[in-house]
Amino acid sequence: MNSKSRLVSMALCTGILALAWTMGPGTFAAAAPAGAAAPPPAAPAPAPPVVAPNADAAPTAAEEPPAPATPPAEFKTLDQEVQGMKKEVIDLNKDLFVLQEELLFPANTQVAVYVSMDVGAFFALDSVTLKIDNKEVKNYLYTAREAEALLKGGVQEIYLGNLKVGKHELVAFFTGKGPVERGYKRGATLTFDKGVGAKYLELKITDRVTKHQPEFKIKDWD
Amino acid sequence: MSALLAAASLSAVPSLVGQPAPDFALRSMDGKNRRLSEFRGQVVLVNFWARWASDSRQEMPALDRINTTYNRAGLVVLGVSVDEDWRRAREFADAMKVGYPILFDTTPDIGRNYLLRKMPMTILVDRSGVVRYSSAGFKSGDELAYLDQIRELLRE
Repeated sequence: MNSKSRLVSMALCTGILALAWTMGPGTFAAAAPAGAAAPPPAAPAPAPPVVAPNADAAPTAAEEPPAPATPPAEFKTLDQEVQGMKKEVIDLNKDLFVLQEELLFPANTQVAVYVSMDVGAFFALDSVTLKIDNKEVKNYLYTAREAEALLKGGVQEIYLGNLKVGKHELVAFFTGKGPVERGYKRGATLTFDKGVGAKYLELKITDRVTKHQPEFKIKDWD
Repeated sequence: MSALLAAASLSAVPSLVGQPAPDFALRSMDGKNRRLSEFRGQVVLVNFWARWASDSRQEMPALDRINTTYNRAGLVVLGVSVDEDWRRAREFADAMKVGYPILFDTTPDIGRNYLLRKMPMTILVDRSGVVRYSSAGFKSGDELAYLDQIRELLRE
């Protein structure tokens, strides 16, 4: 059913209801099926009760289907259609998002870099700068809350981008406070081969207990 | 007619009001890094200032008074210096002796995101992270307009 015919049918329903209302409850009861009789309005009306309690009326009521307490079927269908359309819009949005991700970061050229931290007794992270093929691609400042989240086992996706197939170099600079609260800046480098599939790299900050120093590594998740 | 023209010229000025506040993370004078989105749930006044903008010198003490009064009610005031020379900006901020955090932005990105066109510039962000008020420049008495907005946002 198109929207125009829906509107027409809604207008018809409303018209019928309005007509029945102006004609009075008695007429309404006569026009409508016996079972569909609604209680009369509060306005005084001399009309007889809608459903007669006598024996003659009983079989009629039993034969007719019971009145629906819910809105008319027309409205119900309309509501279902609206709900269906809403769902379609949500699905479409989801598809568009997936498509956008695929277009912007196609799996075959995608490079994702993650940051993780273990223990952190010898290093308080302040910022990370990423360079790929000598070009700065990310500079991220960590708040105390973010650094804490990493220490609790969180893994952060710090960079998502695209690279051509071939050899590339990733350099990561870590700044923060090292042992005895001193300013600390270290770098880690990894040369990696970007194949046809997606590439996942992890910047790992761990404690080297024997040397009482933090350790910075880049792991290639191939 | 002139009122209409004025309204048209006002509407032509790009504004962030009604839009989500662009997030940023900056280093502050006390050495801590602060990220705007971490203040979600509080009303945030972001004041972009520069050493070379003489109005900043007038505005900062007024903002400090607002911060002292409304801090406990859930207001966060952040002063963001857009000076390229952060050392000199720091000296300036030291001299102003304000109690709210001063952050240093040395890259043009944040200014671009916030459509900064005149210094100083004050932005009010509501508890859900949406820009609700924006004011460019400062003249004595403007702080009263800030207060009206702040009280309204704190009540929400």
